[in-house]
Amino acid sequence: MVAATRPRAVGDEGVWFFITADISLFAVLFAAFMHARYGAPGLFEDSRQALNTSLGTLNTLILLTSSWQVALAVHAAREGLRDQVLRYLGLGMLVGVGFAVTKAIEYADKIRAGLTMVHNDFFMFYWALTGLHFVHFLVGMVVLGVCLHKARRDPLDARFLIWIESGGCYWHMVDLLWIMIFPMIYLLGAA
Amino acid sequence: MERLKYLRPCAWTGPVFLMVFIVFWGLFSNNIPPIAADTSAALVADFFRDSANMVRLGMTMAMSFVVFYFIWGLAIAKVIELGIERENNVMSTLALWGAGLTVVPILVSCSFWLTGSYRPEALDDSVLQMLYDMAWLLIDLGYMVTTVQMCAIGIGFLSDEREVPLVPKWFAWYGIWVGFSFIAEVFMPFFTSGIFARHGMLNFWIEFFLWFFWIVGMTYYTLGAISRLEAEARGETVSAGARGTPGMAGASA
Repeated sequence: MVAATRPRAVGDEGVWFFITADISLFAVLFAAFMHARYGAPGLFEDSRQALNTSLGTLNTLILLTSSWQVALAVHAAREGLRDQVLRYLGLGMLVGVGFAVTKAIEYADKIRAGLTMVHNDFFMFYWALTGLHFVHFLVGMVVLGVCLHKARRDPLDARFLIWIESGGCYWHMVDLLWIMIFPMIYLLGAA
Repeated sequence: MERLKYLRPCAWTGPVFLMVFIVFWGLFSNNIPPIAADTSAALVADFFRDSANMVRLGMTMAMSFVVFYFIWGLAIAKVIELGIERENNVMSTLALWGAGLTVVPILVSCSFWLTGSYRPEALDDSVLQMLYDMAWLLIDLGYMVTTVQMCAIGIGFLSDEREVPLVPKWFAWYGIWVGFSFIAEVFMPFFTSGIFARHGMLNFWIEFFLWFFWIVGMTYYTLGAISRLEAEARGETVSAGARGTPGMAGASA
């Protein structure tokens, strides 16, 4: 009888704990947003209309494209194709920079319009949720940068695979969080 | 074995700190939960005047025992240094400094609360409110030194290459995550109500209790790790699946 072997988790198992905990914390914030929105639907709807949905959509496409590139880099790493790993990771980061640029444009626009964090409850959540997400994005860019550096320097062995898979999982989490934030804040209309 | 001497009593100072902190800083001084940030100056002043002796006792005890956090942090840093690190001791050094520096904002903020309770009848309501606000702003916004400690400890234990690591990976990641999540404290100065206020769900109830749980868990695993290191020094090994516990049940010669 052949002993059943447990399939290997993608990336470091501990990273999955981090991702689960982090998503849970965001879930608390999402619930708090929905609770506040339930209490003041008119204010939330009026405030929502001050957001730039086109930039939000662009942000979504940028993150999805970047995640796609990183997924391709992970597949290339499993095949041991260093050139492709470097190319896809580089493209993933380059596209990711677009997120920072569009976010900077959007934030500057809001500050100029006086729609800061203390403007009302909607913008408190807008700045807090997108701000915390942006910090996660910046950490993700650093992690991808480390993977890129390792891909240039180190052998593409099991150790590297753990790094790039873990980084890729984290990057997908950044993506997933945005996919929750975007419709909830930018698109969800009044009931 | 000589290198591991004193580590166990040092590790036990963590729960002592936590107990004193919760009882004296938290319950005696009415910081669990804090007075809401949108409370009027008159009500904050009433609190200081009505509870002066409780706050004096609470803060005196909290200030006396807060150094235990540093001693506890030293035990953890030493476990990383002696049990995991070889030539590079950056993480254990950061963990030690992070623990030591965490003492500072707690100590100084306690002195603000103590000042408010020292002669509250002679101070204006707005001054008492300011002291209360200053204390909370400092203890919350000093989060980054603790974040450094928690992340350094997490990274340090993740570097463990043992088949059965001294601290489970999930708990190392838990510490990193909690330290990372403290960043939500940056929103606290902007609000006097809601989840980001000092008494809010996120910035008080979630963040503080995640930290308390981390202290408890870290103490448990540190005591287990010390037992493991002692067993290793005696030439014993730990079988797979038997993690080090304070009682060290999994060691075999």
